[in-house]
Amino acid sequence: MEHIRNFCIIAHIDHGKSTLADRLIQACGAVDDRKFRDQILDSMDIERERGITIKSNTVTLEYTATDGEVYQLNLIDTPGHVDFSHEVRRSLMSCEGALLLVDASQGVEAQTVANLYLAMEYELELVPVINKIDLPAADIDRVSEEIDADLGLDPFEAIQCSAKNNIGIDGVLEAIVERLPPPGGDPEAPLKALVFDAQYDKYRGVVMLVRVQDGVIRKGQSIRLMYTEADHVVEEVGYLKLEKVATGTLETGSVGYVIAGIKTIQDINIGDTMTETERPAQEPIPGYREAKPVVYSSIYPMSSEDYGDLTKALDKLKLNDAALTFTKVSSAALGFGFRCGFLGLLHLDIVQERLEREFGMSLLLSAPTVQYDVTLTNGEEVVVDNPSFFPDAGDVERVEEPYIKASIMIPEKFLGAVMELCREQRGEKTQFDYLAVGRVEVTSEMPLAEVLFDFYDRLKTVTRGYGSFDYEALDYRATDIVKVDIMVNKERVDALSQLVHREKARSRAMHYCDKLSSTIPKHQFKIPIQGTIGGTIIARKTINAFRKDVTAKCYGGDITRKRKLLEKQKKGKQKMKMVGSVEIPQEAFIAVLKTEKEK
Amino acid sequence: MSSGGGAGLYLHVPFCSAVCPYCDFAVVPADASRSARYVQALLTELELLGEEELSFDTIYFGGGTPSALSRADLESILAAARRSLAVEDDAWLALEANPEDVDAAALEGWRGLGVNMLSLGVQSFQAEELRFLGRRHSAAEGERAVREALTAGFDIVSVDLIFGLPGQEPENLRDSIRRLAGLDPQHVSCYQLTVHEGTPFHRRRQQGRLLELGESRQGELFELVHSELEAAGYSAYEVSNFAKTEDARSLHNQKYWDHSSYLGAGLAAHSFSGRRRWWNEPDLERYCSRLERGERPLAGGEELDSSELALEAVMLGLRRSRGLDLDRLRADYGLNLLERNAAIIESYVEDGLAVVDGRLRLTPRGLAVADAVVRSLDLDPA
Repeated sequence: MEHIRNFCIIAHIDHGKSTLADRLIQACGAVDDRKFRDQILDSMDIERERGITIKSNTVTLEYTATDGEVYQLNLIDTPGHVDFSHEVRRSLMSCEGALLLVDASQGVEAQTVANLYLAMEYELELVPVINKIDLPAADIDRVSEEIDADLGLDPFEAIQCSAKNNIGIDGVLEAIVERLPPPGGDPEAPLKALVFDAQYDKYRGVVMLVRVQDGVIRKGQSIRLMYTEADHVVEEVGYLKLEKVATGTLETGSVGYVIAGIKTIQDINIGDTMTETERPAQEPIPGYREAKPVVYSSIYPMSSEDYGDLTKALDKLKLNDAALTFTKVSSAALGFGFRCGFLGLLHLDIVQERLEREFGMSLLLSAPTVQYDVTLTNGEEVVVDNPSFFPDAGDVERVEEPYIKASIMIPEKFLGAVMELCREQRGEKTQFDYLAVGRVEVTSEMPLAEVLFDFYDRLKTVTRGYGSFDYEALDYRATDIVKVDIMVNKERVDALSQLVHREKARSRAMHYCDKLSSTIPKHQFKIPIQGTIGGTIIARKTINAFRKDVTAKCYGGDITRKRKLLEKQKKGKQKMKMVGSVEIPQEAFIAVLKTEKEK
Repeated sequence: MSSGGGAGLYLHVPFCSAVCPYCDFAVVPADASRSARYVQALLTELELLGEEELSFDTIYFGGGTPSALSRADLESILAAARRSLAVEDDAWLALEANPEDVDAAALEGWRGLGVNMLSLGVQSFQAEELRFLGRRHSAAEGERAVREALTAGFDIVSVDLIFGLPGQEPENLRDSIRRLAGLDPQHVSCYQLTVHEGTPFHRRRQQGRLLELGESRQGELFELVHSELEAAGYSAYEVSNFAKTEDARSLHNQKYWDHSSYLGAGLAAHSFSGRRRWWNEPDLERYCSRLERGERPLAGGEELDSSELALEAVMLGLRRSRGLDLDRLRADYGLNLLERNAAIIESYVEDGLAVVDGRLRLTPRGLAVADAVVRSLDLDPA
């Protein structure tokens, strides 16, 4: 145990986490240079392309230190994004220490701070690492100051490196061995291991990633998952050295994998505690939390024939993504689809992208919604995450919506613009602190729903890309939410209904009316497009009728040609979504729903 | 004259002295030797049709420019038709003519052939518009031709107009219609200019040298055509066709619109009988050479299924002022149109586009968007 080090790397996106991991792996000779590829721990295409980590991964490295001893270094790669903070937490629980990576030119960012706090919560030993020191824009003095002021860490203990150009990597490895503590734990005690993530393997089923706290895991042993209350027999156990290396046992303090004949990810709970059936531990490892969706959106296939394919695709994604939830819904305009729950916008984005890329689906997504707590006049309480199920205004006594605490780091010159932005997003208790000369952290309590709409993009715009943003969930607070319906030719388009704060209802409704009126083609009748709240019209646009649509001549030869033209046009109509007698082209839905995310 | 219960015979004359830049019919520039060869081929085709069992009560010479053929040619074609087909003695006969071909001798000849309806390709009474359309007659010549045709004593003189020209002002169109009404022909056909693929206008449009009128101006002009002609005593019996009296309607053209049988002879001519439609070779050289080998010049055909027939019945029926016979639609195709499309038809009635009175009829405003109305209807039998 003295020769084991379990650690993770904490960094803001783009600060070089995956590159540093790559260098550590190469320095320990864990992979043949010929087989090496960048971002080796990120196995999904989407992770590699976006430079983000979605699933946790782990690699066991053997490192011969300058003291001549061989150490087992377990690097636990964690997602950095707030949507996946439950995964971050579980990964941190599996470590004794962390490398805190800071970009020498960018300095400390919001995510770095947020993750630092998390690491401190789990009492991890921290080693600051300044990366990219050979960049022309590197400003090591300023970054050292930020490490001191923003993070409260000793900048003189920071290790300087350039992962990209393989500078200072030995110093990082030595610091891991010297400064991070070995794991504790009692080898004789009943088994207690944290299941910090799981992968799905189509031949082997569920592969659990575990950190052993007490006791030992052996092949053939009967184990028990304490929250799930299920017993299984260990089929295989070992280390992950980029590939699975079966060892027969996993010692106290180490990190590895367990295969135990479990068929689907739904059969386990990530964060569960594994113990032995014969001699169970008294208590599970504390801190278990279920990953709960916070953002909901309905996903429909562009073409209704693809509903079956969408079902299969979601089932497959779910195998490896325990946090994704979905239930069948149907929309009069868009047909059958699924109401899906996500951990956040990035998660939603990733699921959409994977469905589109890995499964070739073309999709329509309804506007993302948060979960509202609604108290009815009869005292009953309901949770609403779908505008279709929002009760009638007359029955609603009180609505609460989830708030978050946003933390935004920006260069000082953008302070005014960002304060204004927070105000527009219904931010409360907006405050700012000078972290260092010229750098400010703005914190604001705002509804999560506001962040969903267009906050990221507006922040990027007002700070010209220099703002970084992170958030943590706060509580539910009273709010004045209304359901805005969109009526096309007096028929409600269910897929476009949305829950909006009353103050923003009119502008949101107008935005929808504008988009629809410019994308729905003229018909042979006038089409009013209206935004309404409980039948009261708050926005309106009209598409005028066209006056001429008939071909002049219809003589002998022309009849077949004309019929075929009409048949073709009628066929084209089948691809349109019909709302009453109005044909709405898919582009109209795309125009309305896309802008919402990309505006 | 016949009551109109029989089949129609269409005879195509593809020659024009010059081809108009908007025309997409089967036409070729006139040429004496080509013309002689064609007439010969057409005579052969009529002979080969000898087995046809239909009995014909209308004959229509269309083009192209039938008036470009000599009386002798027209006569021999008619004689061939009568020899090999069952053509009723008093069959109704129509002939298309260009104003520049109209003179006393020609009129006399057509009268002698028994032409009931003389259809004149006047198109406009505005000098600028005639030039734009590539017509070879002047406004005055047009007027003269109509006047002389009327004096010659045909049962029906019909005048063709084209509207919806790029940049056309309502004033100019109104002027043409009023000048036409002043001449008082029995029948008027008024077509919207359509830019067809393969025509010089189409190429000009693609090059950005022809700007079509916007749809809303087209609608305005369409309504103007209907209101002006109505005021002058013409009633619309189809989207583009108007007559002073029921007797002045084109007996032949109406067959196209109610699935009556018709037989087409000549270049690219179409035929229909029962559920079958077929059509001739559209290439002049191939048309002639196949007939010279004693072969019928067929190019293609189709057997319509019930849903295609139903779609045609609806699309053609709605173009006519008498509207769609809903009972017949139910009897023939098991289609209860009103029941299947209750909401949308009700909205058309509310908006003044349609009237339901046992039949489904479109008002002039409805006629203007007849294609869209057809597209919006669900025609699947229950």
